[in-house]
Amino acid sequence: MAVKANDRTWLPAAAAVPDGRLREAHDRVVAGRAADGDPHAFEVLVRRYSTLMRVYARSILGTNDEADDVVQEAFVTAWQQLDSLEDPGVVKSWLMRIVSRRSIDRLRARREHEDIIDYDPPAEAASSPAQMVQARSLADAVGTALASLPAGQRRCWLLKEVAEYSYREIAADLDVPESTVRGLISRARVNMAREMQAWR
Amino acid sequence: MTDPQSPYDSGTTDALDPANLDGHTIEELSAYLDAERTPTNFSIESSPGCQIALTALGRLRELTAHTLEAQAATEPAPPDSWVRGIMDRIALEARAGRDIPITHTARTAHLTMTEGAVRGMIRAAGDSISEVIVGRCQIDGDVTAIGEPVTITVDVSVAWGESIPLAADRAREAIHGQLAKHTELNIAAIHVMVQDVRFSRTAPGTGVAQP
Repeated sequence: MAVKANDRTWLPAAAAVPDGRLREAHDRVVAGRAADGDPHAFEVLVRRYSTLMRVYARSILGTNDEADDVVQEAFVTAWQQLDSLEDPGVVKSWLMRIVSRRSIDRLRARREHEDIIDYDPPAEAASSPAQMVQARSLADAVGTALASLPAGQRRCWLLKEVAEYSYREIAADLDVPESTVRGLISRARVNMAREMQAWR
Repeated sequence: MTDPQSPYDSGTTDALDPANLDGHTIEELSAYLDAERTPTNFSIESSPGCQIALTALGRLRELTAHTLEAQAATEPAPPDSWVRGIMDRIALEARAGRDIPITHTARTAHLTMTEGAVRGMIRAAGDSISEVIVGRCQIDGDVTAIGEPVTITVDVSVAWGESIPLAADRAREAIHGQLAKHTELNIAAIHVMVQDVRFSRTAPGTGVAQP
């Protein structure tokens, strides 16, 4: 006779910590608890980071359509792998890397229609100076500059500077030479800096 | 509407004007930055104009991250149905862990409880202290052999304004009490690690734990 008390037996509804308290806790505690298998803690992470992840995925993909699906897939992967995360305090950047990978998978799937590192036009101001002058805040101005980058430059830039990928990792994931990645990131930086100059 | 800390505020946006770069170009500076400023280029390092431009270029990284956060802050929170879509897809029993034996009077009975269940019990016990929230919880030692000493290490968050040693003691007692009651684990020690002191949004600065 084998009797196994399963998790549910010991986790009646009353065992769930009031959501309000959990929402106030730092990533390290929330993610650590989620890694131990507490779905309530995981839901707090979903609510805490899904919007940022969606904004990021949209910027990598260049469209809004698939961003929600990509973020959803990223969270499912995160749940499966969370117990392998050694320091739960870095869960945010870890999630950004997962959503990066998921986004790249989508780009690969569409590759028959579009090159991930698409045609990269020579540096020129893509947004109109008027658009940049109208930017009401620094964040708006950076957002405009980012949006004006050619897709290949923007993708490499975000992977490097937000998801903290190395040049080698970007090259491997996008299946292009490392020198191409370096060139794209350098051009992205120069283009953004030029665009920013128009903002006062 | 300018950020006073920004290298892009009025007056310093010419940081990237080639006329101020002592003969260097923005492309050159960007490549120099990528090479982590090695080998040292003395011409660049000794040019005030280049230094300002390098700072401006270097800041683009944090500005990008800051911008995504700012954009996210203006977007609506995900609808509950979307969040439920994720929660429905994750397997709730995925973290069973090791099997912990429980003695039984009948010799033919083989009784176990999962490590995941014990963790759930530890969380519930710690959470019963109103100022405490339990985070990660680690059970070290051979739990699969009855009587082997085990050490429990739990991360906790404590509400601001509460006595941390007192909260840790209360959590430890609550956890010990529950484990002694429901398991046969031979507990050598329970370590409570306070990882975070949290502020309540509902009672800012008062540290009053919510009932």
